[in-house]
Amino acid sequence: MKPISLVGTAAYLPETVVDNAFFGGDNRATSGMFKGSRARRHVAPGESAASMIERATATLRARLGGDELREVDLVLTNVSCPDQPFTGCGASASRLLGVKPKRVIDLHNTGCVSFVFMLELARDLMHAGVVKNALLCCVQNAAGRVFAHEENRARPQSAVPGDGCGVGYVVANDSAPVRGIVSHAYGDYADDMRMACDDPSPWYAPRKHPLYIDFTEDRIAKIVARGNRLVPEVVLEACRAAEVKPSELDVLVTNQPNAVFLRNWREALQLPKEKHVESYEDYGNLFGAGIPINLAKAADEGRLPRGARVALGGFSHAGDYAAGAIWQPG
Amino acid sequence: MSLALDDINAIPNVRRIENFPKDDMNAFAMDLTHAVYPHDEIYGKYCSLEEYVDCPPEDVFRYLADVDTLAEWTYSLRDAEPAADGVVFTDKIGGKTKCFTKVVAHEASMTVDYHCAWDQGEHLWMIYLMRVIPAQLVLNKPGSVVLWTNCHHPFYDRNPRPELAPADRKVWVGDLWPFFYAGHHVEMQNLKHILEHRHAHELPIVPAKVAR
Repeated sequence: MKPISLVGTAAYLPETVVDNAFFGGDNRATSGMFKGSRARRHVAPGESAASMIERATATLRARLGGDELREVDLVLTNVSCPDQPFTGCGASASRLLGVKPKRVIDLHNTGCVSFVFMLELARDLMHAGVVKNALLCCVQNAAGRVFAHEENRARPQSAVPGDGCGVGYVVANDSAPVRGIVSHAYGDYADDMRMACDDPSPWYAPRKHPLYIDFTEDRIAKIVARGNRLVPEVVLEACRAAEVKPSELDVLVTNQPNAVFLRNWREALQLPKEKHVESYEDYGNLFGAGIPINLAKAADEGRLPRGARVALGGFSHAGDYAAGAIWQPG
Repeated sequence: MSLALDDINAIPNVRRIENFPKDDMNAFAMDLTHAVYPHDEIYGKYCSLEEYVDCPPEDVFRYLADVDTLAEWTYSLRDAEPAADGVVFTDKIGGKTKCFTKVVAHEASMTVDYHCAWDQGEHLWMIYLMRVIPAQLVLNKPGSVVLWTNCHHPFYDRNPRPELAPADRKVWVGDLWPFFYAGHHVEMQNLKHILEHRHAHELPIVPAKVAR
Protein backbone atom coordinates (compact mmCIF):
# COMPACT_ATOMS: atom_id res chain seq x y z
CA MET A 1 0.00 0.00 0.00
CA LYS A 2 1.37 3.39 -0.95
CA PRO A 3 2.14 5.52 2.09
CA ILE A 4 0.36 8.71 3.03
CA SER A 5 1.93 11.35 5.23
CA LEU A 6 0.66 13.84 7.76
CA VAL A 7 3.10 16.65 7.07
CA GLY A 8 1.76 19.31 9.41
CA THR A 9 -0.88 20.33 11.91
CA ALA A 10 -1.96 23.68 13.33
CA ALA A 11 -4.44 24.99 15.84
CA TYR A 12 -6.66 27.98 16.25
CA LEU A 13 -8.10 28.72 19.66
CA PRO A 14 -10.67 31.49 20.13
CA GLU A 15 -9.46 34.42 22.20
CA THR A 16 -12.14 34.30 24.87
CA VAL A 17 -10.84 32.39 27.88
CA VAL A 18 -13.65 31.22 30.14
CA ASP A 19 -12.81 30.27 33.70
CA ASN A 20 -14.83 28.12 36.05
CA ALA A 21 -16.57 31.10 37.68
CA PHE A 22 -18.54 31.59 34.44
CA PHE A 23 -20.58 28.50 35.24
CA GLY A 24 -21.80 29.83 38.58
CA GLY A 25 -20.25 29.53 41.99
CA ASP A 26 -22.58 26.90 43.29
CA ASN A 27 -22.83 24.60 40.34
CA ARG A 28 -21.03 21.29 40.34
CA ALA A 29 -19.33 21.89 37.04
CA THR A 30 -15.85 21.77 38.43
CA SER A 31 -16.23 19.14 41.11
CA GLY A 32 -18.56 16.52 39.75
CA MET A 33 -18.23 13.98 37.01
CA PHE A 34 -16.73 16.67 34.85
CA LYS A 35 -13.93 17.97 37.04
CA GLY A 36 -10.44 18.66 35.85
CA SER A 37 -10.66 21.57 33.46
CA ARG A 38 -9.30 24.88 34.75
CA ALA A 39 -10.30 26.95 31.72
CA ARG A 40 -11.59 26.61 28.18
CA ARG A 41 -12.13 28.86 25.15
CA HIS A 42 -15.48 29.95 23.76
CA VAL A 43 -16.11 31.11 20.20
CA ALA A 44 -17.12 34.74 19.78
CA PRO A 45 -20.75 35.49 18.89
CA GLY A 46 -21.05 35.28 15.12
CA GLU A 47 -17.68 33.56 14.67
CA SER A 48 -18.11 30.93 11.95
CA ALA A 49 -16.62 27.46 11.77
CA ALA A 50 -15.34 28.32 8.29
CA SER A 51 -13.44 31.30 9.65
CA MET A 52 -11.92 29.13 12.38
CA ILE A 53 -10.67 26.77 9.69
CA GLU A 54 -9.27 29.78 7.81
CA ARG A 55 -7.39 30.97 10.93
CA ALA A 56 -5.92 27.54 11.70
CA THR A 57 -4.97 26.96 8.06
CA ALA A 58 -3.20 30.34 7.90
CA THR A 59 -0.96 29.12 10.74
CA LEU A 60 -0.40 25.82 8.96
CA ARG A 61 0.51 27.56 5.71
CA ALA A 62 3.02 29.72 7.55
CA ARG A 63 4.45 26.66 9.26
CA LEU A 64 4.81 24.66 6.05
CA GLY A 65 6.09 27.66 4.08
CA GLY A 66 6.46 27.90 0.33
CA ASP A 67 3.51 27.16 -1.86
CA GLU A 68 2.17 24.35 0.30
CA LEU A 69 -1.57 24.38 0.73
CA ARG A 70 -2.20 26.91 -2.06
CA GLU A 71 -3.89 24.18 -4.07
CA VAL A 72 -5.85 21.54 -2.19
CA ASP A 73 -7.39 18.47 -3.83
CA LEU A 74 -9.57 17.40 -0.92
CA VAL A 75 -11.11 19.36 1.95
CA LEU A 76 -12.56 17.33 4.82
CA THR A 77 -14.43 18.93 7.70
CA ASN A 78 -16.13 17.91 10.90
CA VAL A 79 -17.92 20.66 12.83
CA SER A 80 -19.68 19.99 16.11
CA CYS A 81 -22.16 22.84 15.73
CA PRO A 82 -22.47 23.59 11.99
CA ASP A 83 -22.76 27.19 10.79
CA GLN A 84 -25.94 26.32 8.90
CA PRO A 85 -28.26 23.33 8.99
CA PHE A 86 -28.34 21.30 5.76
CA THR A 87 -25.12 22.69 4.23
CA GLY A 88 -21.71 21.74 5.48
CA CYS A 89 -19.03 24.39 5.86
CA GLY A 90 -16.31 22.82 3.68
CA ALA A 91 -17.28 24.77 0.59
CA SER A 92 -17.48 28.02 2.57
CA ALA A 93 -14.08 27.31 4.12
CA SER A 94 -12.63 26.62 0.64
CA ARG A 95 -13.81 30.03 -0.51
CA LEU A 96 -12.20 31.73 2.48
CA LEU A 97 -8.98 29.77 1.86
CA GLY A 98 -8.97 30.65 -1.85
CA VAL A 99 -8.68 27.00 -2.92
CA LYS A 100 -10.70 25.06 -5.46
CA PRO A 101 -10.66 21.45 -4.25
CA LYS A 102 -11.73 18.54 -6.44
CA ARG A 103 -13.65 17.12 -3.53
CA VAL A 104 -15.19 18.56 -0.39
CA ILE A 105 -16.59 16.16 2.19
CA ASP A 106 -18.27 17.42 5.35
CA LEU A 107 -18.33 14.56 7.83
CA HIS A 108 -21.38 14.75 10.03
CA ASN A 109 -20.36 11.75 12.13
CA THR A 110 -17.30 10.45 14.02
CA GLY A 111 -17.09 13.67 16.12
CA CYS A 112 -14.31 13.36 18.69
CA VAL A 113 -12.26 10.93 16.59
CA SER A 114 -13.07 12.45 13.19
CA PHE A 115 -9.42 13.36 12.55
CA VAL A 116 -8.45 9.69 12.38
CA PHE A 117 -11.45 8.86 10.21
CA MET A 118 -10.37 11.70 7.90
CA LEU A 119 -6.88 10.21 7.69
CA GLU A 120 -8.47 6.92 6.66
CA LEU A 121 -10.74 8.56 4.10
CA ALA A 122 -7.90 10.66 2.66
CA ARG A 123 -5.75 7.52 2.40
CA ASP A 124 -8.48 5.64 0.55
CA LEU A 125 -9.07 8.49 -1.91
CA MET A 126 -5.32 8.82 -2.46
CA HIS A 127 -4.98 5.10 -3.06
CA ALA A 128 -7.88 5.34 -5.52
CA GLY A 129 -5.94 8.03 -7.35
CA VAL A 130 -8.65 10.62 -6.83
CA VAL A 131 -6.58 13.16 -4.87
CA LYS A 132 -2.92 13.82 -4.08
CA ASN A 133 -3.34 15.92 -0.97
CA ALA A 134 -5.96 16.71 1.65
CA LEU A 135 -6.73 19.38 4.23
CA LEU A 136 -8.33 17.89 7.35
CA CYS A 137 -10.36 20.37 9.41
CA CYS A 138 -11.89 19.66 12.81
CA VAL A 139 -13.93 22.37 14.49
CA GLN A 140 -15.41 22.31 17.95
CA ASN A 141 -17.64 25.29 18.54
CA ALA A 142 -20.44 23.89 20.68
CA ALA A 143 -19.00 25.29 23.91
CA GLY A 144 -19.68 28.93 23.08
CA ARG A 145 -22.71 28.26 20.92
CA VAL A 146 -24.59 25.76 23.10
CA PHE A 147 -23.10 25.31 26.55
CA ALA A 148 -22.56 29.01 27.26
CA HIS A 149 -26.27 29.75 27.02
CA GLU A 150 -27.40 31.18 30.32
CA GLU A 151 -29.96 28.40 30.78
CA ASN A 152 -27.31 25.75 30.12
CA ARG A 153 -24.40 27.16 32.12
CA ALA A 154 -25.38 25.65 35.42
CA ARG A 155 -25.62 22.15 33.98
CA PRO A 156 -22.68 20.09 35.24
CA GLN A 157 -21.63 19.08 31.72
CA SER A 158 -21.45 22.69 30.49
CA ALA A 159 -17.99 23.42 31.85
CA VAL A 160 -16.46 20.46 30.03
CA PRO A 161 -16.48 21.52 26.35
CA GLY A 162 -14.04 24.05 25.01
CA ASP A 163 -13.86 25.48 21.50
CA GLY A 164 -11.04 25.29 19.00
CA CYS A 165 -10.06 24.24 15.53
CA GLY A 166 -7.33 21.82 14.51
CA VAL A 167 -6.20 21.24 10.93
CA GLY A 168 -3.83 18.78 9.31
CA TYR A 169 -2.31 18.48 5.86
CA VAL A 170 -1.92 15.04 4.29
CA VAL A 171 0.03 14.22 1.15
CA ALA A 172 0.63 11.05 -0.85
CA ASN A 173 4.28 10.34 -0.03
CA ASP A 174 6.34 8.70 2.72
CA SER A 175 7.86 11.75 4.39
CA ALA A 176 5.80 11.43 7.60
CA PRO A 177 3.88 8.19 7.25
CA VAL A 178 0.57 7.36 8.88
CA ARG A 179 0.26 3.60 9.20
CA GLY A 180 -2.06 1.05 10.72
CA ILE A 181 -5.20 3.16 10.53
CA VAL A 182 -8.09 1.24 12.06
CA SER A 183 -11.66 2.32 12.59
CA HIS A 184 -14.87 0.87 13.92
CA ALA A 185 -18.54 1.79 13.96
CA TYR A 186 -20.66 0.50 16.82
CA GLY A 187 -24.33 0.93 16.04
CA ASP A 188 -25.37 -0.46 19.39
CA TYR A 189 -23.98 2.63 21.10
CA ALA A 190 -25.39 5.15 18.65
CA ASP A 191 -28.37 6.34 20.66
CA ASP A 192 -26.76 6.87 24.06
CA MET A 193 -25.93 10.54 23.42
CA ARG A 194 -28.77 12.82 22.47
CA MET A 195 -29.66 16.43 22.04
CA ALA A 196 -31.90 17.26 24.96
CA CYS A 197 -34.14 20.16 25.80
CA ASP A 198 -36.61 21.12 28.48
CA ASP A 199 -39.16 21.54 25.66
CA PRO A 200 -40.51 18.13 24.73
CA SER A 201 -40.49 18.84 20.98
CA PRO A 202 -37.79 17.52 18.61
CA TRP A 203 -34.63 19.58 18.25
CA TYR A 204 -35.66 21.18 14.97
CA ALA A 205 -39.02 22.44 16.29
CA PRO A 206 -39.51 26.00 17.57
CA ARG A 207 -38.71 26.19 21.26
CA LYS A 208 -38.47 28.37 24.33
CA HIS A 209 -35.47 26.64 25.93
CA PRO A 210 -32.00 25.94 24.54
CA LEU A 211 -30.75 22.55 23.40
CA TYR A 212 -27.93 20.78 25.20
CA ILE A 213 -26.15 17.46 24.94
CA ASP A 214 -27.19 14.86 27.44
CA PHE A 215 -25.73 11.54 28.43
CA THR A 216 -28.59 9.72 30.09
CA GLU A 217 -27.83 9.05 33.74
CA ASP A 218 -28.80 5.40 33.52
CA ARG A 219 -26.10 4.86 30.90
CA ILE A 220 -23.21 6.77 32.49
CA ALA A 221 -21.55 3.76 34.11
CA LYS A 222 -21.78 1.78 30.87
CA ILE A 223 -20.44 4.65 28.80
CA VAL A 224 -17.51 5.07 31.19
CA ALA A 225 -16.70 1.36 30.99
CA ARG A 226 -17.07 1.48 27.21
CA GLY A 227 -14.75 4.47 26.84
CA ASN A 228 -12.21 2.87 29.17
CA ARG A 229 -12.14 -0.16 26.90
CA LEU A 230 -12.57 1.24 23.38
CA VAL A 231 -9.57 3.55 23.18
CA PRO A 232 -6.83 1.24 24.53
CA GLU A 233 -8.31 -1.52 22.37
CA VAL A 234 -8.19 0.52 19.15
CA VAL A 235 -4.70 1.91 19.88
CA LEU A 236 -3.39 -1.62 20.46
CA GLU A 237 -5.09 -2.71 17.23
CA ALA A 238 -3.38 0.15 15.37
CA CYS A 239 -0.05 -0.88 16.92
CA ARG A 240 -0.52 -4.42 15.64
CA ALA A 241 -1.52 -3.18 12.19
CA ALA A 242 1.54 -0.90 12.05
CA GLU A 243 3.79 -3.56 13.60
CA VAL A 244 4.79 -1.29 16.47
CA LYS A 245 5.03 -2.63 20.02
CA PRO A 246 2.95 -0.59 22.52
CA SER A 247 6.09 -0.29 24.67
CA GLU A 248 7.81 1.44 21.74
CA LEU A 249 5.30 4.31 21.59
CA ASP A 250 6.88 7.72 22.14
CA VAL A 251 3.76 9.87 22.19
CA LEU A 252 0.06 9.24 22.72
CA VAL A 253 -2.51 11.71 21.41
CA THR A 254 -6.19 11.11 22.06
CA ASN A 255 -9.42 13.01 22.26
CA GLN A 256 -9.95 14.40 25.74
CA PRO A 257 -13.45 13.90 27.16
CA ASN A 258 -12.32 14.30 30.75
CA ALA A 259 -9.31 13.80 33.00
CA VAL A 260 -10.38 10.34 34.18
CA PHE A 261 -10.50 8.88 30.67
CA LEU A 262 -7.07 10.34 29.95
CA ARG A 263 -5.66 8.70 33.09
CA ASN A 264 -7.32 5.39 32.36
CA TRP A 265 -6.13 5.20 28.76
CA ARG A 266 -2.53 5.89 29.80
CA GLU A 267 -2.74 3.26 32.51
CA ALA A 268 -4.25 0.69 30.17
CA LEU A 269 -1.52 1.31 27.59
CA GLN A 270 1.13 1.42 30.34
CA LEU A 271 2.38 4.80 29.17
CA PRO A 272 3.61 7.48 31.58
CA LYS A 273 1.86 10.86 31.76
CA GLU A 274 4.83 12.52 30.03
CA LYS A 275 4.15 10.60 26.83
CA HIS A 276 0.50 11.64 26.66
CA VAL A 277 0.15 15.04 25.01
CA GLU A 278 -3.14 16.58 26.07
CA SER A 279 -4.53 19.96 27.00
CA TYR A 280 -7.65 19.19 28.97
CA GLU A 281 -6.84 21.47 31.86
CA ASP A 282 -6.46 24.55 29.63
CA TYR A 283 -8.91 23.83 26.83
CA GLY A 284 -11.45 21.30 28.15
CA ASN A 285 -13.05 18.76 25.86
CA LEU A 286 -12.17 19.88 22.34
CA PHE A 287 -14.28 17.17 20.71
CA GLY A 288 -12.92 16.41 17.23
CA ALA A 289 -10.47 19.29 17.34
CA GLY A 290 -8.68 17.68 20.28
CA ILE A 291 -6.43 15.32 18.33
CA PRO A 292 -5.09 17.84 15.77
CA ILE A 293 -4.80 20.61 18.38
CA ASN A 294 -2.80 18.30 20.64
CA LEU A 295 -0.64 17.23 17.69
CA ALA A 296 0.09 20.91 16.99
CA LYS A 297 0.87 21.40 20.68
CA ALA A 298 3.26 18.44 20.61
CA ALA A 299 4.99 19.91 17.55
CA ASP A 300 5.22 23.36 19.20
CA GLU A 301 6.76 21.79 22.30
CA GLY A 302 9.35 19.88 20.28
CA ARG A 303 7.94 16.52 21.29
CA LEU A 304 7.75 15.06 17.77
CA PRO A 305 11.26 14.20 16.68
CA ARG A 306 11.61 12.69 13.23
CA GLY A 307 10.58 9.04 13.27
CA ALA A 308 8.95 9.16 16.71
CA ARG A 309 6.14 6.66 17.09
CA VAL A 310 2.98 8.61 17.77
CA ALA A 311 -0.23 6.75 18.55
CA LEU A 312 -3.51 8.48 17.72
CA GLY A 313 -6.73 7.17 19.18
CA GLY A 314 -10.14 8.07 20.43
CA PHE A 315 -13.85 7.40 20.47
CA SER A 316 -16.79 9.59 19.66
CA HIS A 317 -20.04 10.51 21.36
CA ALA A 318 -21.12 7.62 23.59
CA GLY A 319 -18.96 5.06 21.80
CA ASP A 320 -20.51 4.88 18.32
CA TYR A 321 -17.14 5.25 16.59
CA ALA A 322 -13.56 4.46 17.59
CA ALA A 323 -10.37 4.79 15.57
CA GLY A 324 -6.62 4.67 15.92
CA ALA A 325 -3.45 5.08 13.87
CA ILE A 326 0.32 5.22 14.19
CA TRP A 327 2.09 8.29 12.85
CA GLN A 328 5.82 8.89 12.39
CA PRO A 329 6.55 12.61 11.99
CA GLY A 330 9.02 13.67 9.34
CA MET B 1 -22.45 10.31 73.83
CA SER B 2 -22.52 13.75 72.22
CA LEU B 3 -24.77 14.49 69.29
CA ALA B 4 -21.85 14.64 66.85
CA LEU B 5 -20.50 11.27 67.94
CA ASP B 6 -23.98 9.88 67.49
CA ASP B 7 -24.17 11.01 63.87
CA ILE B 8 -22.90 8.37 61.47
CA ASN B 9 -22.93 10.94 58.67
CA ALA B 10 -20.24 12.87 60.54
CA ILE B 11 -17.86 9.90 60.65
CA PRO B 12 -14.95 10.51 58.27
CA ASN B 13 -15.10 8.41 55.09
CA VAL B 14 -18.72 7.45 55.60
CA ARG B 15 -20.51 8.38 52.39
CA ARG B 16 -24.27 8.13 52.35
CA ILE B 17 -26.79 9.91 50.21
CA GLU B 18 -27.55 12.13 53.22
CA ASN B 19 -24.00 13.55 53.38
CA PHE B 20 -22.66 12.77 49.90
CA PRO B 21 -24.93 13.91 47.04
CA LYS B 22 -25.42 11.84 43.93
CA ASP B 23 -23.26 14.12 41.76
CA ASP B 24 -20.38 13.71 44.21
CA MET B 25 -21.01 9.97 44.30
CA ASN B 26 -20.90 9.82 40.50
CA ALA B 27 -17.65 11.77 40.43
CA PHE B 28 -16.17 9.54 43.12
CA ALA B 29 -17.30 6.42 41.28
CA MET B 30 -15.74 7.67 38.06
CA ASP B 31 -12.47 8.40 39.82
CA LEU B 32 -12.46 4.91 41.32
CA THR B 33 -13.24 3.23 38.00
CA HIS B 34 -10.06 2.55 36.02
CA ALA B 35 -9.64 0.70 32.75
CA VAL B 36 -7.02 -1.60 34.27
CA TYR B 37 -5.76 -2.29 37.79
CA PRO B 38 -2.28 -3.28 38.95
CA HIS B 39 -2.14 -6.92 40.06
CA ASP B 40 -0.98 -5.96 43.55
CA GLU B 41 -3.92 -3.58 44.03
CA ILE B 42 -6.38 -6.37 43.31
CA TYR B 43 -4.58 -9.34 44.88
CA GLY B 44 -2.09 -7.76 47.29
CA LYS B 45 -4.07 -7.72 50.55
CA TYR B 46 -6.68 -10.33 49.74
CA CYS B 47 -6.79 -13.01 47.11
CA SER B 48 -10.40 -13.57 46.10
CA LEU B 49 -11.65 -15.59 43.20
CA GLU B 50 -14.90 -17.10 42.11
CA GLU B 51 -16.13 -19.67 39.62
CA TYR B 52 -19.26 -21.28 38.31
CA VAL B 53 -19.41 -25.07 38.70
CA ASP B 54 -22.02 -27.11 36.87
CA CYS B 55 -22.74 -29.40 39.83
CA PRO B 56 -25.51 -29.13 42.47
CA PRO B 57 -24.55 -26.93 45.43
CA GLU B 58 -25.26 -29.67 47.99
CA ASP B 59 -22.76 -31.93 46.24
CA VAL B 60 -20.15 -29.17 45.94
CA PHE B 61 -20.53 -28.41 49.64
CA ARG B 62 -20.31 -32.08 50.62
CA TYR B 63 -17.19 -32.49 48.50
CA LEU B 64 -15.43 -29.44 49.94
CA ALA B 65 -16.48 -30.29 53.51
CA ASP B 66 -14.63 -33.61 53.23
CA VAL B 67 -11.07 -32.55 53.99
CA ASP B 68 -9.62 -35.59 52.21
CA THR B 69 -10.76 -34.22 48.83
CA LEU B 70 -8.02 -31.57 49.10
CA ALA B 71 -5.72 -34.33 47.87
CA GLU B 72 -7.69 -34.28 44.61
CA TRP B 73 -8.32 -30.68 43.64
CA THR B 74 -5.35 -28.85 45.19
CA TYR B 75 -2.12 -28.65 43.21
CA SER B 76 0.19 -30.11 45.84
CA LEU B 77 -1.51 -31.30 49.08
CA ARG B 78 -1.07 -35.09 49.20
CA ASP B 79 -0.67 -38.09 51.50
CA ALA B 80 -3.07 -37.10 54.28
CA GLU B 81 -2.50 -38.60 57.71
CA PRO B 82 -4.75 -38.22 60.75
CA ALA B 83 -3.67 -35.50 63.17
CA ALA B 84 -4.92 -34.47 66.58
CA ASP B 85 -7.25 -31.80 65.22
CA GLY B 86 -7.85 -32.76 61.60
CA VAL B 87 -5.32 -34.09 59.11
CA VAL B 88 -1.77 -33.41 58.13
CA PHE B 89 -0.90 -33.34 54.43
CA THR B 90 2.42 -33.22 52.73
CA ASP B 91 2.52 -30.03 50.68
CA LYS B 92 4.72 -31.21 47.85
CA ILE B 93 5.36 -27.67 46.72
CA GLY B 94 7.59 -27.51 49.81
CA GLY B 95 9.19 -30.95 49.41
CA LYS B 96 8.44 -32.85 52.62
CA THR B 97 6.68 -29.90 54.23
CA LYS B 98 3.83 -30.83 56.54
CA CYS B 99 0.61 -28.90 56.09
CA PHE B 100 -1.66 -29.18 59.12
CA THR B 101 -5.29 -28.78 58.13
CA LYS B 102 -8.62 -28.51 59.91
CA VAL B 103 -11.93 -28.02 58.13
CA VAL B 104 -14.68 -25.86 59.61
CA ALA B 105 -17.87 -26.29 57.60
CA HIS B 106 -21.38 -24.96 58.14
CA GLU B 107 -24.01 -26.72 56.12
CA ALA B 108 -26.78 -24.14 56.54
CA SER B 109 -24.67 -21.35 55.01
CA MET B 110 -22.57 -23.74 52.88
CA THR B 111 -19.30 -22.24 54.06
CA VAL B 112 -16.17 -24.35 54.17
CA ASP B 113 -13.08 -22.88 55.81
CA TYR B 114 -9.75 -24.67 55.77
CA HIS B 115 -7.55 -23.63 58.69
CA CYS B 116 -3.99 -24.58 57.79
CA ALA B 117 -0.35 -23.98 58.57
CA TRP B 118 2.96 -25.24 57.29
CA ASP B 119 5.28 -27.07 59.68
CA GLN B 120 3.18 -26.89 62.88
CA GLY B 121 -0.38 -27.52 64.02
CA GLU B 122 -0.70 -25.28 67.08
CA HIS B 123 -1.53 -22.07 65.21
CA LEU B 124 -3.47 -22.63 62.00
CA TRP B 125 -3.14 -19.16 60.45
CA MET B 126 -3.40 -19.88 56.69
CA ILE B 127 -7.15 -19.78 56.29
CA TYR B 128 -8.93 -20.55 53.02
CA LEU B 129 -12.46 -19.17 53.19
CA MET B 130 -14.90 -20.76 50.76
CA ARG B 131 -18.60 -20.42 50.19
CA VAL B 132 -20.94 -22.34 47.90
CA ILE B 133 -23.95 -20.51 46.51
CA PRO B 134 -26.83 -22.07 44.54
CA ALA B 135 -26.38 -20.70 41.03
CA GLN B 136 -30.16 -20.76 40.64
CA LEU B 137 -30.32 -17.86 43.08
CA VAL B 138 -27.57 -15.69 41.64
CA LEU B 139 -27.25 -16.71 37.98
CA ASN B 140 -30.72 -18.15 37.31
CA LYS B 141 -29.33 -21.50 36.26
CA PRO B 142 -28.58 -24.86 37.89
CA GLY B 143 -25.20 -25.47 39.48
CA SER B 144 -23.07 -23.62 41.98
CA VAL B 145 -21.02 -20.50 42.38
CA VAL B 146 -17.91 -20.99 44.52
CA LEU B 147 -16.28 -18.01 46.25
CA TRP B 148 -12.79 -18.34 47.70
CA THR B 149 -10.80 -15.76 49.66
CA ASN B 150 -7.42 -15.77 51.37
CA CYS B 151 -6.28 -12.87 53.52
CA HIS B 152 -2.65 -11.71 53.49
CA HIS B 153 -1.73 -12.74 57.04
CA PRO B 154 1.56 -11.19 58.23
CA PHE B 155 3.06 -14.66 58.63
CA TYR B 156 3.04 -14.98 54.84
CA ASP B 157 5.74 -12.29 54.89
CA ARG B 158 7.59 -13.68 57.93
CA ASN B 159 7.74 -17.34 58.85
CA PRO B 160 6.99 -17.37 62.60
CA ARG B 161 8.72 -20.73 63.13
CA PRO B 162 11.60 -21.02 60.65
CA GLU B 163 13.29 -23.63 62.84
CA LEU B 164 10.51 -26.13 62.04
CA ALA B 165 11.16 -26.14 58.28
CA PRO B 166 12.71 -29.24 56.70
CA ALA B 167 16.44 -28.65 56.49
CA ASP B 168 16.65 -28.61 52.72
CA ARG B 169 13.60 -26.38 52.07
CA LYS B 170 14.36 -23.07 50.41
CA VAL B 171 10.83 -21.84 49.78
CA TRP B 172 8.39 -20.29 52.26
CA VAL B 173 4.69 -20.43 51.44
CA GLY B 174 4.39 -16.64 51.69
CA ASP B 175 7.09 -16.11 49.09
CA LEU B 176 4.49 -17.36 46.64
CA TRP B 177 1.85 -14.76 47.57
CA PRO B 178 2.26 -12.93 44.22
CA PHE B 179 1.38 -16.25 42.55
CA PHE B 180 -1.58 -17.00 44.81
CA TYR B 181 -4.16 -15.83 42.28
CA ALA B 182 -2.55 -18.00 39.61
CA GLY B 183 -2.18 -21.01 41.90
CA HIS B 184 -5.69 -20.73 43.26
CA HIS B 185 -7.07 -20.20 39.77
CA VAL B 186 -5.52 -23.50 38.72
CA GLU B 187 -6.93 -25.22 41.79
CA MET B 188 -10.36 -23.68 41.27
CA GLN B 189 -10.31 -25.00 37.71
CA ASN B 190 -9.32 -28.42 39.05
CA LEU B 191 -12.28 -28.28 41.44
CA LYS B 192 -14.64 -27.20 38.67
CA HIS B 193 -13.56 -29.81 36.18
CA ILE B 194 -13.42 -32.71 38.61
CA LEU B 195 -16.91 -31.96 39.93
CA GLU B 196 -18.42 -31.24 36.51
CA HIS B 197 -16.94 -34.48 35.17
CA ARG B 198 -18.38 -36.55 38.02
CA HIS B 199 -21.75 -34.81 37.91
CA ALA B 200 -22.06 -35.16 34.12
CA HIS B 201 -21.17 -38.86 34.25
CA GLU B 202 -23.25 -39.59 37.36
CA LEU B 203 -20.16 -40.78 39.22
CA PRO B 204 -19.96 -40.55 43.02
CA ILE B 205 -19.08 -36.92 43.82
CA VAL B 206 -17.03 -37.87 46.87
CA PRO B 207 -15.15 -41.13 46.23
CA ALA B 208 -15.61 -43.83 48.87
CA LYS B 209 -12.02 -43.34 49.82
CA VAL B 210 -9.86 -40.55 48.53
CA ALA B 211 -6.41 -41.97 47.93
CA ARG B 212 -4.13 -40.89 50.72
